[in-house]
Amino acid sequence: MTGLVPPLEWQRVFVEPWAANSTSSAWIVLMGFFATATCGLVGNYLILRRMVLVGDAISHSVLAGIAGAFLLSGSRGSAWMFVGSLAAGIITALLIEAIHRHTRVKQDSAIGIAFTSLFALGVVLISLYGGRVDLDQECVLYGEIANVPVTVEPLPESLSRLAAHVPLLQAEFLWRGVDLVMPPDVLRMALLLMATGALIGVFYKELLVSSFDASLAVSLGIPAAVVHYGIMGILSLVAVSAFEAVGAILVIAMLILPGATAQLLSQRLPVILGLTLLHAALSAVTGLHLGTWLDCSIAGAMVVAGGGWFALAWVFNPREGLLRRVLRSAPRHDAAQPAGGIGSKEHSR
Amino acid sequence: MDGAPPLEIHDLTVAYHERPVLWGVDLVVPAGRLVGIVGPNGAGKSTLIKAAMGLLPAASGWVKVFGAPVRQNLRRIGYVPQRESVDWDFPVCVRDVVLMGRYGHVGLMRRPSAQDHAIAQRCMDEVGLLPFADRQIADLSGGQQQRVFLARALAQESDLYFMDEPFSGVDAATESAIIALLQQLKSRGKTILVVHHDLPTAREYFDTLLLLNMRVVAFGPAEEVFTYDLLQKTYGGRLTILSDMADAVSRQSRSP
Amino acid sequence: MTPRRAIALLLACGLLLCTHTAWADRIGDITSTDWREQAWRFVTLADPAVRFALAGSILLGLNCGLLGGFIVVRRMALFGDMLSHAVLPGVALGFLWNMSKDPVAIFVGATLAGLAGAALVGLLRRTTRLKEDTVLGLVLALFFAGGICMVTRIQSLPQGNKSGIDKFLFGQAAALGPGDVQLMAAVTVLALALVCLFYKELLVASFDGAFAASLRLPVAALHFGLLLLLSFAVVVALQAVGVVLVSAMLITPAAAAYLLTDRLHRLLQGAMVMGVLAGVGGAFISFLGTNLPTGPFMVLTASAIFAIVFLFGERRGVLMRWWRRRAQAARVRRENTLKAVFHILESRGLGHVRSVALHELAAHRQGTMATARSEARVLAGHGLATLPAGAESLDLTHEGWQRACEIVRNHRLWEWYLTHQMAIAPDHVHADAENIEHLLGEDAVRQIERALPPSPVDPHGRPIPALGAGRGERTP
Repeated sequence: MTGLVPPLEWQRVFVEPWAANSTSSAWIVLMGFFATATCGLVGNYLILRRMVLVGDAISHSVLAGIAGAFLLSGSRGSAWMFVGSLAAGIITALLIEAIHRHTRVKQDSAIGIAFTSLFALGVVLISLYGGRVDLDQECVLYGEIANVPVTVEPLPESLSRLAAHVPLLQAEFLWRGVDLVMPPDVLRMALLLMATGALIGVFYKELLVSSFDASLAVSLGIPAAVVHYGIMGILSLVAVSAFEAVGAILVIAMLILPGATAQLLSQRLPVILGLTLLHAALSAVTGLHLGTWLDCSIAGAMVVAGGGWFALAWVFNPREGLLRRVLRSAPRHDAAQPAGGIGSKEHSR
Repeated sequence: MDGAPPLEIHDLTVAYHERPVLWGVDLVVPAGRLVGIVGPNGAGKSTLIKAAMGLLPAASGWVKVFGAPVRQNLRRIGYVPQRESVDWDFPVCVRDVVLMGRYGHVGLMRRPSAQDHAIAQRCMDEVGLLPFADRQIADLSGGQQQRVFLARALAQESDLYFMDEPFSGVDAATESAIIALLQQLKSRGKTILVVHHDLPTAREYFDTLLLLNMRVVAFGPAEEVFTYDLLQKTYGGRLTILSDMADAVSRQSRSP
Repeated sequence: MTPRRAIALLLACGLLLCTHTAWADRIGDITSTDWREQAWRFVTLADPAVRFALAGSILLGLNCGLLGGFIVVRRMALFGDMLSHAVLPGVALGFLWNMSKDPVAIFVGATLAGLAGAALVGLLRRTTRLKEDTVLGLVLALFFAGGICMVTRIQSLPQGNKSGIDKFLFGQAAALGPGDVQLMAAVTVLALALVCLFYKELLVASFDGAFAASLRLPVAALHFGLLLLLSFAVVVALQAVGVVLVSAMLITPAAAAYLLTDRLHRLLQGAMVMGVLAGVGGAFISFLGTNLPTGPFMVLTASAIFAIVFLFGERRGVLMRWWRRRAQAARVRRENTLKAVFHILESRGLGHVRSVALHELAAHRQGTMATARSEARVLAGHGLATLPAGAESLDLTHEGWQRACEIVRNHRLWEWYLTHQMAIAPDHVHADAENIEHLLGEDAVRQIERALPPSPVDPHGRPIPALGAGRGERTP
């Protein structure tokens, strides 16, 4: 088992990424941040609406959409990928609906059947024809975030014009005196993050009320079904965009981890959304260093780093952290009442 | 008020998963009444108010609110759902929930105004929740949670209120506070329909009673309706045939 | 029944193993691509790799089907998914034990990782406000990411024989060796034996945990035992199906069996059969090409089986139900025609003449002559009426007349019941009775008659035909 954990060399792990490969590291971190933050924002609502399994399902089944789109169009154009993944998302939703409605198979099993079928189909397509579209099984699993800067190419006209209007996203990016064109993957992810953020800002109260109490939302005239399918649609887009960076399976981690961490720390939704972004940024940076140190998949390392931040929040959370619970219950055993009080017990099933 | 009755239901039949649970309900509720909806378990009490608000699709019949279809007059309806229907761990504070009552008035994509905040503040004060305004809702007692819903309904500033078992699981103080509030709403000319589980208190709490068991057994002033015969009919009626047929309908449309 | 069938299969696996000879080469090493040749090799079981792959597929199908049944009825699909992803770091650790694909080390590592995942879920549930699905997704993601890090780390290590670890992700039945299959067989026997021994306890605990606890059954121990078996099933299936898709082998065959049966023990049997079919089918298809992963093909086979059951299932298949619904709609149409004929006859005063002109029927139903004629032909086809050649009228047969009386009687009785007993306004009851008249059986009619004071007429003042008239076609 020797050699699994290499020595933690300060120079190699913490300095070199920013000295020797600064641009590449910057893009990796930015891509990781954008992907995790976008997923995390959407994921917060999945968690609140108890749709985590749906998130799992959609993030898996976009693979079939991507593979199908590659095969049909013969290109890795992002437009095709979006179309394919949206189609896969819709097919998943329809399959779940059909199985759930026409049989007594319960919702969770229906979801399980639908997405594993589509995912298996995607893997089969890729293993049969993957060579043609430059996709392989590894990429499905852990993405190629480390390769992001390699794909730097001039932006499509339309995208760069769009980017020129967004102050934060000047297509010409200056990094330590080196002119660099923003990689299109990163740019796309950044745009998606902004779009998601803007949507959440604009429809904040509709999302809030329909997640909290769907029947109240309907009685207020807010179409809860539209909100639901809107979230599913955005989820498909987010999943396919993050696919390149982190693969199909780690997306579920990025959907849940930031939100779960933030929801441990706060009980106010605006604060939670802010903490989600913070968690995304922290796990992107620490993930890069962890990946460099252990010389493993950087996407995986970002998730593990995010898990580390989650664990910190879990243990040291001042309000109801594990440590506090232990300290509180140490003198008197009967005082181990969870701070969640009435609500948490009622909803434990 | 404007002539038209607050709530008019005609021949409403509602099916849950294809199984009819309410048959041919006819109901006209005059303005300014405090109506208790009473009936045994499974009588369709909650179903009736949900269908009246359009939350459940009707198999037949129609509902009018102040003379117009429900959809057009949603803003004049306030709703207090059952306390178990929401997740009390949801990351919102009391103020956020009460403010939700204003969302119907705020409009799509807009933020609540200072006036909306002021109304929410006033409503929290009315139910005595002001000291808890910034508490997360899980940190409240059962009675306080119920009052959050009441404050939210007040913030809706509606003319017609539907309340689904507001007295379930609350302490005596909250119960009398809710009654006082209902009386006050009534004196302001509001119409309130309350699903109520407890038969003994029904007569003293409400001025009008609706006895329901898969169909309307009786509707009228409490003292007239609260009779042994009608209660017997509501709670002891032979409905086996009706539920058998409801099962047959659901079997026919689902499995064969 | 279950044990016997399962034991037969196990014996078959044993036979496959015994015939194994010394020259063991792996399917992965074979470069032949002709699928016909490959199919022949698979069917004849000519080389041991095929036999191992087949035995492994059968065993994993048995195991996953058996435990998947519990997953499906206990609504633990996400839990199964979590467990199957959570074993990955354990696989990597087991691999690291002596830098080779040692079945026992990997089995132990993966089982421990699965249990650690389940324990973490329990701990998080108890100490945070997070909901069950969030916690499951969280643990799934964390463990899987950790596993990915370890696997990629192992692959970048300079020393050791690293081949094979990537096979755990999407599965390769051809990579199964004799040691793997022996382990799988042992685990399967154990799982079968335990489930058979504790069947009734598991049944009660799955259906109603609180009741089981009130019987003083050790619910927690049962839960843990099931969890352990579940981890075993996942780990056993791992090499052939892969981490990513094991949950599908747990869910899909069991869900397909659930569509066919009402009883848990039959569900478990059916799930095992379907699991074996899916496993063998997937192994066979992936064997046809070179270097194809087995897992996705097994899952697709399972999904195909599910789709077939979903569409063509005898009692609950979607197509069968559609067909039955059509038959029912046709019956309702026939009965409506009969009712129309009755109404026409009634308006004439109900003599002994059972003959109605087609133009009368058309006028009464506000349709065309053509529809009236085709409706009459349908009645004639079912022996409810005769349609004399060339005649523009139809005569009800005795049976047709009885059925018509029954329908009208049902309709009017129901209206009478609703208005009298339910106090529903007379103008509301017609639409409802239009639907119910086709559903009222003899029992319901008698029940209504008992509940009601006898009335010769319906709420609209029309007579209710006597029940004695009707002894014909019955509602099924």
